[in-house]
Amino acid sequence: MTDEIEQVMQKVYYEKLYDNWVSNFALNLKNIWEEDSGNELIPKNISKASIVIGKGPSIKEHNHLELLAKSEFKGNIICCDGALISALKSGITPEKFPNFYVVCIEARQGLKKYFDDDLVRKFGKEIKGIFSVVADPEAIDIARKAGIQIHWMHALFDYEEGKKSFNQISAMMVRAKNHNNGLPGLQTGGNVGTTSWFFGWRILKSEVVALIGINHGWNENDSWEIITSHGFEVEPPKLDHNSSSFKKLFPKIYNPEFNCNCILDPIFLYYSKALKEFISRTPQNITTINATEGGVIFGEKIHCMKFSTFLEKY
Amino acid sequence: MKGNFKIKDDGKTISNLDSKLDENNKLIFKKNDDEKEISAEEFEDFIVKSGAAGSFMIFRSEKKETEMGIDEL
Repeated sequence: MTDEIEQVMQKVYYEKLYDNWVSNFALNLKNIWEEDSGNELIPKNISKASIVIGKGPSIKEHNHLELLAKSEFKGNIICCDGALISALKSGITPEKFPNFYVVCIEARQGLKKYFDDDLVRKFGKEIKGIFSVVADPEAIDIARKAGIQIHWMHALFDYEEGKKSFNQISAMMVRAKNHNNGLPGLQTGGNVGTTSWFFGWRILKSEVVALIGINHGWNENDSWEIITSHGFEVEPPKLDHNSSSFKKLFPKIYNPEFNCNCILDPIFLYYSKALKEFISRTPQNITTINATEGGVIFGEKIHCMKFSTFLEKY
Repeated sequence: MKGNFKIKDDGKTISNLDSKLDENNKLIFKKNDDEKEISAEEFEDFIVKSGAAGSFMIFRSEKKETEMGIDEL
């Protein structure tokens, strides 16, 4: 079923988003030429541990932002765009955590709300942002005006299709001026959380990357209304809950690491399978820690521990 | 435990958050006479509605190492 999901996703993303990718890239290109490559963020030495902060509900359930704000963590803070404001509000600021980054990849409109905030404007100059070349220009402009240092990357999706692929054409256009060496191309895994995880070890060179607020699953006590609507984003499907299709689309998974059950939906199936696969394929020296205290991100090369334990250890 | 919801005859969903899940943690749906298992089209429709509003697709390549990223593109 998951392979079918990937095929369907590929088709619908092309149909719905390709025009956005092209027009956003066109609008971003002048700034891309004038601003920094994401590769400027590569440290000279192996950097400290990174924490990727997503906006999933586990972060509130376990008070992870408060725990982090009170900690003496010295590593990198990588906020997914949607988590930036709540992190700052919780006291996770670049004043306390100077290695502070935000990641934004999406082409759709409406992301400017993630940057349009007084706290972002207050701390913007100390925040380093990495944006995909097809990300929403309006959101990037708000971030830029807030002082966030813009760095660029390619979000890989069709590079495989050769010189006529969007990834390769846009890369050639970027290289045409100032960026002789191009930009980093990152696997997104379909979402900003997985992109942020890649950013942590591929660009920032962290050997330890921990995840909070990213567990790609619903809690067993979340309402079915929330689960089947992917958090109220859609009308739930009209399906017989006893059907095999329903069980495939919304499977319940036991997480032995945190001794809990969680429930997937098709979107989380798509995201989680890929993230787990990519984690299993990381180089030997990379450690990924699921500190969300739940969800479905467990398995090969994934270390699970309470976030408080992670903070004590790193 | 919170959980179930029902589908009204007009097809719209209504919350019933005070009800409890049964021991099998199953939904209560009102079945239509013509209800059948999900088709590929229905599945695609679900994905479009729930997933295509944003985000990306996963990049796949015959060169598996490329899937893990490209340093300078």
